[in-house]
Amino acid sequence: MELSLISEKLQAGKAKEVKALVQQAIDEGIPASEILDKGLLAGMNIVGEKFKNNEVFVPEVLVAARAMNQGANLLKPLLAAEGVTAHGKVCIGTIQGDLHDIGKNLVRMMMEGKGLEVVDLGTDVSPDTFVNTAIEQNCQIICCSALLTTTMGGMAEVVKKAEAAGIRDKVKIMIGGAPVTEAYAKQIGADCYTSDAASAADAAAAFCK
Amino acid sequence: MAILKVHKGKITQNIKFEGRMKLSDLLLQNGLSTIHPCGGRGVCGKCRVEITGSVSAPNALEQKAGCRLSCQAEITGDCEVILPEDRQDMMIETGSGQAETVQSSGISSGKIGAAVDIGTTTMALKLYDLQSFAELASAAMLNPQGSVAADVMGRIGASMGGKRDLLRQQVTGAIEALLQEACEKAEIAANTVTKMVVTGNTTMLYLLTGRDPEALSHAPFEADCLFDETIDLFGIPSYLPPCAHAFVGADITCAILVSHLCRGNETAALCDIGTNGEMALWKDGRLYVASTAAGPAFEGAGITMGSGSVTGAINGVSIVNGKPHVSVIGNTEAQSLCGSGLLDAIAVGLALEEIDETGAMEEDEFPLGGAVSLFPKDVRAVQLAKAAIAAGLETLLDSAGIKPKDVSSFDLAGGFGSNLNLRSAAAIGLLPEELVACTTVLGNAALSGAAQLLLHKEATARAREIAKNAVHVPLGGNPKFNERYMDNMLFPEQE
Repeated sequence: MELSLISEKLQAGKAKEVKALVQQAIDEGIPASEILDKGLLAGMNIVGEKFKNNEVFVPEVLVAARAMNQGANLLKPLLAAEGVTAHGKVCIGTIQGDLHDIGKNLVRMMMEGKGLEVVDLGTDVSPDTFVNTAIEQNCQIICCSALLTTTMGGMAEVVKKAEAAGIRDKVKIMIGGAPVTEAYAKQIGADCYTSDAASAADAAAAFCK
Repeated sequence: MAILKVHKGKITQNIKFEGRMKLSDLLLQNGLSTIHPCGGRGVCGKCRVEITGSVSAPNALEQKAGCRLSCQAEITGDCEVILPEDRQDMMIETGSGQAETVQSSGISSGKIGAAVDIGTTTMALKLYDLQSFAELASAAMLNPQGSVAADVMGRIGASMGGKRDLLRQQVTGAIEALLQEACEKAEIAANTVTKMVVTGNTTMLYLLTGRDPEALSHAPFEADCLFDETIDLFGIPSYLPPCAHAFVGADITCAILVSHLCRGNETAALCDIGTNGEMALWKDGRLYVASTAAGPAFEGAGITMGSGSVTGAINGVSIVNGKPHVSVIGNTEAQSLCGSGLLDAIAVGLALEEIDETGAMEEDEFPLGGAVSLFPKDVRAVQLAKAAIAAGLETLLDSAGIKPKDVSSFDLAGGFGSNLNLRSAAAIGLLPEELVACTTVLGNAALSGAAQLLLHKEATARAREIAKNAVHVPLGGNPKFNERYMDNMLFPEQE
């Protein structure tokens, strides 16, 4: 079968059909890594590009990501058996004092769509939790979201704690959210700021290469 | 020592300064502020200025905006700047919709009071004769704290970052100026004003009283003061009504006083649509309140050609001969798009199939009239803003176990709610159809409620009841709200 069909159905958010097609591809003996790359991830890539260009919006990304997860669940045991590992590992969360999680969830989905493994720490996450998770779970990236000008200062704390823990040479720190800017990222010594979820996933994938 | 020469309209002023300074900071220090809807982050492009002389090279944000921004440009030596003229034609809601007021009889008893509403964006004051209840004069202006930050969170941050005194001086100075203006209009001496009621959201009252707003700055957002106290403002005893919550303030308590809520068995809801959307519901003797951040899209910030309600702004769009037809404030050439025009533009775009229900646009640009167009990113900003309000209302109703059809009265408070086209609000899914059908427009209900407190002793007890009994429904971090927020980002199916 053509794996591009999986990509098309994923872009349209058809979870059931994606799941059925992934199963069919497995049954045809196509390697799981190929189904993942050329079917699911290829589809999410296109969704990400369209999101950047304002052609699709949050709800479409959400349904596409749901469809991707349905397919990915079937592939997981096979990928493990093939010895395929994720392209990289990220821990993500919304900064302490802040309860917004929609933007953060969107970034997580986009990153998963790049084949990255994402540890979601939720909202109201302390700087220590970010840093300890990165150490314990061997993450290459810490990704922080803030939606309030009054809580974004917590991001500077994350950078400081990462320095103090001596992991700054191994772990990249990415930040984002409505009040955050490129200049702020520079000011606090974070590695990267992106203005939207798709760009964040691109940047994370580049760091993990 | 260097000199900054400032031109504003017909006035020229020289400001001395030393070293390297951000232009907006120097202007603010000298009482010459530019507007910063994005809080000086260089992303909204509204503080554009023309500048020549010793100034930093345009940074990335200025290059993106295609102009110099006073919040980004740094001056290092002698230079000259041209500031846009103040918009004296800004329309600010002081009206009270259908609430009862007594018209001035022209005779004053000599006992005068003032009701004041400190809005995050605009401020308004009304003078009343305390014996005849006659309304004597009114005055309105932009909240000068807007020069520090446009939204409450920005101001809370600024207050904690050392601007607490500045913010307090700005707002007290503005109240004094409004009082002066209204007294002049009413031809009375300012010292005959013997009492005031000053309402506003919780943050505004914190900033007015110079309280540390730290408790309002982070989750769990629990205010350490809910007011219901009388303070001294330039010698006038001034009552600050009670707030229900950190983000459901005295302005909502006041609005509820003049609404259909808290009266008998009728199920009634109220919504004040602004940068923060506040909402309340009265059902079976219980009062539920909630708030949600909608962002400043409805005030024109973050919208490509967005603006406030100023001359030249499109404030309405309809369909004539299958094409968009605009109405413009001041009947001039269309130059920008204000909140009500933005809502109409999207409703028209949906009806003409220029925009589909997912918010995708057929073309890269939807021309409305004059040089004004709607762009894809503008539609996305409105989707986020309207989804927050719609999801908030749904979640609030759901917490009382009801649907929009069960509400018998819906009251819209605030400036934006007074000017929007209700049919467009329903067409884009900002408000459910069932609520639009039973809507009453209250105008500046916070100000009307403050006037009630000023004129009627028994209103104070009612205000206390309202604030005390209000059940706060948290929306932040609420999974039900998040789900509805996603669902409501889509536009309704077009008929």
